[in-house]
Amino acid sequence: MPADKAVRRVFRPDTTIADLKAYMGPFAERLGYKFNTETDFVDEVLQSEIEILDRDGDVYCPCRIRSGDPKEDAQIVCPCIPFYRDEFAAIRKCWCGLFILADVDDGADLIGVLEEVEAGTLVEVPVARFEDLAPGVARHIKVGKRDLAVVRVADDVYALSNLCRHAFGPLADGFMDGFELMCPWHGWRYDVRDGTTDHPGADVTTFPVRVRDGIVLVSVPLGRAKA
Amino acid sequence: MAVHLYALSTCPYCRMTKKYLDEHEVAYSLTEVDLLEGAEKDAAVEEVVRLSGGKSFPVLDVDGQVVVGFNKGRMNQVLGL
Repeated sequence: MPADKAVRRVFRPDTTIADLKAYMGPFAERLGYKFNTETDFVDEVLQSEIEILDRDGDVYCPCRIRSGDPKEDAQIVCPCIPFYRDEFAAIRKCWCGLFILADVDDGADLIGVLEEVEAGTLVEVPVARFEDLAPGVARHIKVGKRDLAVVRVADDVYALSNLCRHAFGPLADGFMDGFELMCPWHGWRYDVRDGTTDHPGADVTTFPVRVRDGIVLVSVPLGRAKA
Repeated sequence: MAVHLYALSTCPYCRMTKKYLDEHEVAYSLTEVDLLEGAEKDAAVEEVVRLSGGKSFPVLDVDGQVVVGFNKGRMNQVLGL
């Protein structure tokens, strides 16, 4: 089955574990994750999510409680990876360990609470699959509290702060010209390789990027959001 | 020693924590927060946030020492296992 067919989200009243796997698997893969290798544990978590789906109407995280505020609760709908990219990359799994980073061979050790990673520690965070980035088109990706513009130029990928230093325009909505990303609001130009601009003192922060096994990894200092 | 567990009925780590406490013959009281309603539920959530700083479960309160999540190392420490 083509991946784009499998990601369509269908929650029928008789949704099964297999349905959730088919829906979430390809989606998680795009985020640089896969299901835990402990299949019994995966089934147990997904069974819990089906109970929650029947009761609360969506696949909320089984380890956290809904607040009743739809905006807040949207951040605990499984997979919640996009909301906690840096924190999860630091512990190599999502909160409950249903998903683990794509490069983890054995997920058994990632079940339960791990040692805390100190805020500020540099973490390599998966942000996209290389093949999903179109050359010359920037994309806005939120990593923890940071807003990044991620852009591919030929076979290289760059990550920089998404906020233009002029009037705070969203750089990822801008236009690429060679190695320069042009702000969509007033045309300020930033070199995506080092964040420099021709306006003195207005350079933006850049973040180291590498591509491993087709996954784009951006190194950012770990922030800490409330659980 | 007063041991209280705040849990969700749907949470795999809460089940693991209960099993762990049972296996080690630790007596504990239990609040299954998602099964409560109205003011009772709000109060329980508020207490969980006060104890743990978040809304993740399980939260184990051992005489004021708090363990968040299924964390064997921390549990052994606070329970003296």
